[in-house]
Formats: sequence, structure tokens, C-alpha cells
Amino acid sequence: MRVTVDPVRCEGHGICCLFFGERIDLDDWGYAAVDPAPFDDIRLARKARRAVAACPEGALAIEITAASAAPRRH
Amino acid sequence: MTLAPSTGSAVDQGSVDIAFGGVGEPGTRLLAGPEPGSGAESLIAHQARLGAWPDFEADRRALLDVLDLSGLRGRGGGSFPAAAKMAAAAGRGRPLLVVNASESEPASAKDATLVGLRPHLVLDGARILARAAGAEEVSVVLHRGNRPGLRALSHALSERARAGLDDPEMTVTLGPDRYVSGEASAVVSLLEGGEAKPRFTRRRPAALYGVHGRPTLIYNAETTAHAGLLARFGAQWFRRAGTAERPGSTLVTLAGAAARPGRVLEVMAPVSMGLLLGAAGLDQPPAALLVGGYAGAWLDGATTWDLPFSHEALGHAGASIGCGLLGILPPGACGLGETARLVTYLAGESAGQCGPCVFGLAELAAIFEALALGQASRADLRRLHRRALGIEGRGACRHPDGVVGLIQSALRVFAPDVRRHLKGRSCGATGGPIFPVPPTTGGWR
Repeated sequence: MRVTVDPVRCEGHGICCLFFGERIDLDDWGYAAVDPAPFDDIRLARKARRAVAACPEGALAIEITAASAAPRRH
Repeated sequence: MTLAPSTGSAVDQGSVDIAFGGVGEPGTRLLAGPEPGSGAESLIAHQARLGAWPDFEADRRALLDVLDLSGLRGRGGGSFPAAAKMAAAAGRGRPLLVVNASESEPASAKDATLVGLRPHLVLDGARILARAAGAEEVSVVLHRGNRPGLRALSHALSERARAGLDDPEMTVTLGPDRYVSGEASAVVSLLEGGEAKPRFTRRRPAALYGVHGRPTLIYNAETTAHAGLLARFGAQWFRRAGTAERPGSTLVTLAGAAARPGRVLEVMAPVSMGLLLGAAGLDQPPAALLVGGYAGAWLDGATTWDLPFSHEALGHAGASIGCGLLGILPPGACGLGETARLVTYLAGESAGQCGPCVFGLAELAAIFEALALGQASRADLRRLHRRALGIEGRGACRHPDGVVGLIQSALRVFAPDVRRHLKGRSCGATGGPIFPVPPTTGGWR
């Protein structure tokens, strides 16, 4: 899975970065810059879901990638 | 203009008998027919010149086959295979066919030429593609500023109605004169009655989820014009022009320091850039070439001179045919100054929706202007590189990516000028602006 950001909706609140700093960074103007690398770690998946839920604009989504249909426990 | 095609090309044996030609010149395909001065070709003249419809027109399977075998690729810039787009939309409900003639590149004139002079060829192709897709409606999208195009199309549609042609329902929609409003998702938004701004679609292409959720097949006007011919003359005929990778002829617009900027040529075979630029009045390599559009790429003039004009050769050199723009930077002009003007224009054409595009492009434009004026430091240059990489791929559409590509190619091709400008020295450039930049107009509908 991976996180994607809708750049039209993103208003740069920056909350996602607090929840999921492992994959979401803020750019110089405060907008979410998401690392597109897929992950299947259950701990990261939990953080990703929190970040998605916390975005006040509903700009984030979790995308299921072909490589990992469901998160695995390591 | 009759010249031998360059040897060693990937074209079928004994392919085409000219390398390139302009409107009305013999041996051309899309541009064949009356001279440019005679205006839009009438329906009667068009049908007399090209003959009747192919008798398999009603056979959808046969149309799809000929489209597939032809290898036709989209001519709006993306070069996406036309048949694959249609296959993606198949079986998903009532499709809509869109002819995208909203030519947003300020220096490009190929779509305006086709729509203005050969409207029936564009509409024939739309009809053929609609039949192949099972679409009963066709929308032709134009920029509002293209008044001659609207006149030619309206007249052509009334001629077809009077002649009782069994066309799908065809309508014309006018969009704003903005750079990004010809992008596929922006066209979908316009056709839904919204603003012609790109949308973030999360891998939901218009071909599958388009206007009001319907599969929407958006083809560039040159693509549909090709379809109008290849349905008549067949896939083998079509492949005799162009290359194996990108079959068929290609329209290019000459811009900048050309004898006649805005002149449109049809390239039949992968002729060398040098010969092609000879048609622009050049007998020696220009300082540099802007290829594919304002958000395209700069190529060095001397090394590009002997390259064939082909999808493959330009791709290898780091550019793409894009919309077919060939912009000529003359010796003595400042490539950095030109790039700064283009970047400032493109930054102003952001739809203002995505933070990285709004703030990123504005900052890139400011740094690049400072660089062009000899007021930038090495730290500014490092910031330019960092910012460019930082915004790539982060817009709803590819507009920021296009600007980043332009900037990166400029820093590569004009590297010696960059060093001079960083030292605050004049690059010695003289003369006014080379490429036209229209004023940014407000409004998105």
C-alpha cells in the first residue's frame, strides 16, 4: 500500500506529517510531500490510516498497490 | 518542397515521395488539397478530392482493426496509442468522443490550421472514431480565441447537416484561452459545465471515467484528421510515413527565428532536422531549438542539426515531439532570458489549485529571472535545482513537471551562459524576445 495526496485539496495544515512522518514530509510552503514508495508494514499502515483520518481536507488516501494487497505483520 | 528522405530510416521500403511539405503541397496527406489562401475546404471539394466513405464504415470490428494496425498515436503531446485508449473505454457504457482542438501552445498552429482549412477531415475522423467506439455524440473543444476555427467548424457542420450526412450528433464547445485548459481532465470539467481546470484523478483516466462518469475518448484534432484518412486508405498506407515507433506523418509548427513563424509543415519521413529547418530559412544550425512546446525541452542547435526529426531520435536526445513545435533560437539571443520569459508565462498559467505549482512555479520564475539578469548567486542556482526536483510530480496535472523539464534542459544546453550570468557578466545577447508570450487572461470558463 501507499499514501497519495490530492494536491488540489491539500491546504498545507501539516497534520498528516505529525502522524506519519515516516512517509509524509512538508515542503518549503507547508504542503504534504508524500514518499510514493509502497510499504506493507502493519505499524506503518496504522500510522497511514491515522494520517488519512486526521486530514481536515480529506486530501489523503490509501492506495492498495499490486505488490501487497493487504498489510503483513513482520 | 520535394526532398529525399534521409537514408537509414525505419520507414517501409519505397515509402513516401517527399520528406515534408506545407499546406497545399503535393505529396502531403493532412495538408494536401487547396492552397492556404483559399480558406476552409468545402464539403463538396473535400469529398471530390478524397472520395467516398470506406464501405466497412458500419463494421466496428474492422474499424478497430485498422486503427490498431495503423499504430496511430495521439498528436496532442502524449503520443498515447489511439487504439489502446479506445480499448480501455470498451464495454463501460455510453462513450463520448471529444475532438480536442484547444491548442494551448502559444506558438503552435497545427490544430488551428487543420480546423481552419480542413474542417471536414477533422470531422470525418471524429465520425470514424465515434463509430469505432460506439459513441453517438462528438464534442469539438476549441479555445474561445480561435474565432476562425469556430467559423470554419460551424460552417462545416451546417454543410454536413444540409448534405444529410449520417454523422453522430456533433457540437462545438468553447473553453477559456488558458494554457492548461486543454489538458484531458480540464476538458472533462469544461464539458460538465465547470471550470476548465485540471482535476486530480487518482488513476481514473478520462477514457474510463470522463464527462459525468461516462467513458470519454479525447483525441487531438490532428489524431482525428489522421483517422479520417487511414479509414479510407488503410493501415499499410498509413505506415508508409513516419517511423515504426510512431507511424504516420507529423505536423510541426516553425516558431521563433523562422522565415515565417507559425508556418505548419507535414513531415512525411524522418528527414534530418537540418533539412527541415532549411524550410524555415536556416542554412546553418541555430543556437538552440525549443522542441515540443513551451513546456518542452531545449536542444543544442549544432548537435541536433544532423538528427532525424523522429519520435525515437528526439526522445533519445531528451526531448519529445510533443505538439510538434520547433522553436528556433537564433545565434546571439539569450536562451536564459527566453527561458525566464517562458517560465514566468507558464507560472502565470497555473490553475492556482495545487500548492507546489502555485508557490513552486512562482519561485522558479523569480530565481530564473534573477539568473537571466545576472543577479543570481550559486546558492540561488542550488535552490533552483532543489525546488525544481521538489515539485516534480506533485501537481494534479503535469504542468509543473513540464516547467521543471524546460528549466532543467535550459540549464544543460545553456550551461556556458549560466556560468557567465552567475559572474554577473553580460552574455552579450542582443535583440528582442524570440518566442511570443500571450497575456494571461482571467476566467476559466
